[in-house]
Amino acid sequence: MTQGRRIGISLMALLIATALWLPLVHLFFSKPATSFFQATAVSPKARELAARHLQLWTDPPLRARELQRMRASNAEWDFMGRSFLVWSLANMALRDPATKSGNLETMDRIIEETIRLEQQEGITFFLMSYAKTNSYLVQPARSLFIDGEIALMLAARRMVEEKPEYKELLAQRVNVIADGLQRSPHMLLESYPNECWMFDHCIALCAIRLADHLDRTDHSRLISDWIAMAKQKLVHPESGLLTACFTAKGQPLDGPEGSTLWMVAHCLQILDEDFARDQYQRTRKELGETLLGFGYAHEWPSSWRGPADVDSGPIIPVLNISAGSSGLAFIGASSFGDEAYLKTLSTTLDFSAFPKRKAGALKYCASNQVGDAALLYAATLGPLWEKVKVKGLQ
Amino acid sequence: MKTNLTNRFWNLCAADFLSPKDLVRHAVLIVLAFGVAHAFGLREYTSFLNGTTGSMELGYELSALLGLIYLLLYFATVLLVPILILAALLATLWLKYYQRNAP
Repeated sequence: MTQGRRIGISLMALLIATALWLPLVHLFFSKPATSFFQATAVSPKARELAARHLQLWTDPPLRARELQRMRASNAEWDFMGRSFLVWSLANMALRDPATKSGNLETMDRIIEETIRLEQQEGITFFLMSYAKTNSYLVQPARSLFIDGEIALMLAARRMVEEKPEYKELLAQRVNVIADGLQRSPHMLLESYPNECWMFDHCIALCAIRLADHLDRTDHSRLISDWIAMAKQKLVHPESGLLTACFTAKGQPLDGPEGSTLWMVAHCLQILDEDFARDQYQRTRKELGETLLGFGYAHEWPSSWRGPADVDSGPIIPVLNISAGSSGLAFIGASSFGDEAYLKTLSTTLDFSAFPKRKAGALKYCASNQVGDAALLYAATLGPLWEKVKVKGLQ
Repeated sequence: MKTNLTNRFWNLCAADFLSPKDLVRHAVLIVLAFGVAHAFGLREYTSFLNGTTGSMELGYELSALLGLIYLLLYFATVLLVPILILAALLATLWLKYYQRNAP
């Protein structure tokens, strides 16, 4: 046999082997969706992720190393890692009362340190450096990103068990946010100088919603007015998806961004359930993908082309896979019971995020503390929202 | 036994380009390289994928390089090695069939 023929046979064998092997790879990483998320219990993976985070909060040198690595890229991630963890621990405590005492202790430690740092170092401690280069339009400067997430942390803690000291703290934050929205001619509040985020507004409104439940206040009109405004002015016309970022006057600075939308749809579940489902279905259709059993998400719909930002994570070309959007897609899929998509996302996570297990704790090496905290939130969400869900605010 | 293994090892090294033995040789080399990368803990440096440095001491660029090396070796092991082994098996069967039926 000639060498040419032999090489030809080998090349053909390689092609056939590729066609046989690639569709099977996912089977080695695929597990039922219930291994990640369970509606009525805490999943095994959630316990492992939580164990790792609790380790970080009881081992100061370990935590300091993780925070230093994250803050070198983005100080926001330090802050959001705290928020996602507190919300997760609240959900876990509601699902599994045996964890309540320990979780409350950790939640309080996180909340108190976060507020102390905010007061000591100023709001820019948890913001990216460009927050300092320009002036906020509204003075004194406040960031809705900071106010909203702290408010939701306080509210989530109180939903598990009342803490009188937090009642006044939550009321102050809620009043600042509500007053700000009402005074703003466009019902928009800055997170950065003249930069407003859909993500932050939705979280802030969720905090107000929980506060209304806790303290029997009523901001339903404010919430419904805001949703009506957003539907009218903050939607990308081609895709019908909410815009991620805009000026204080509502002019878009960005398009509909996956690393925003999945969480926004989840938040809308307690603000306007019908609109929430609409946004999830659109986001799923425009951004969610499955290929050979692996699920992932794009950052932008095909009708929008914009630059990636630090929240997008790296974008893998050709397939346009966004690490940030794919990670947050877990929150969307868990929220809306999309088990099929959740399973494929979970397959991708175990395949390409390099899980590392040690003494019952799990972290993903390709992720970081905030990424793992967001995954933990996706694996535990539900109980907080179930307590306050309403359908289609008028 | 030792001579047999040694002979088989040198046979593998001397394999023709894209022969079944050559495919297996590449598979073995990839698995060995991945094993070394894994043993040295390069998995930790894959955090560059989300923009987080694997080590403040080494800096972002070097950490990203180490992470990329691990990434490439991992995907080669999971995706390419089974393909190479499967292709070696198919090519071996194909060549045997061809030789048996050659005029």
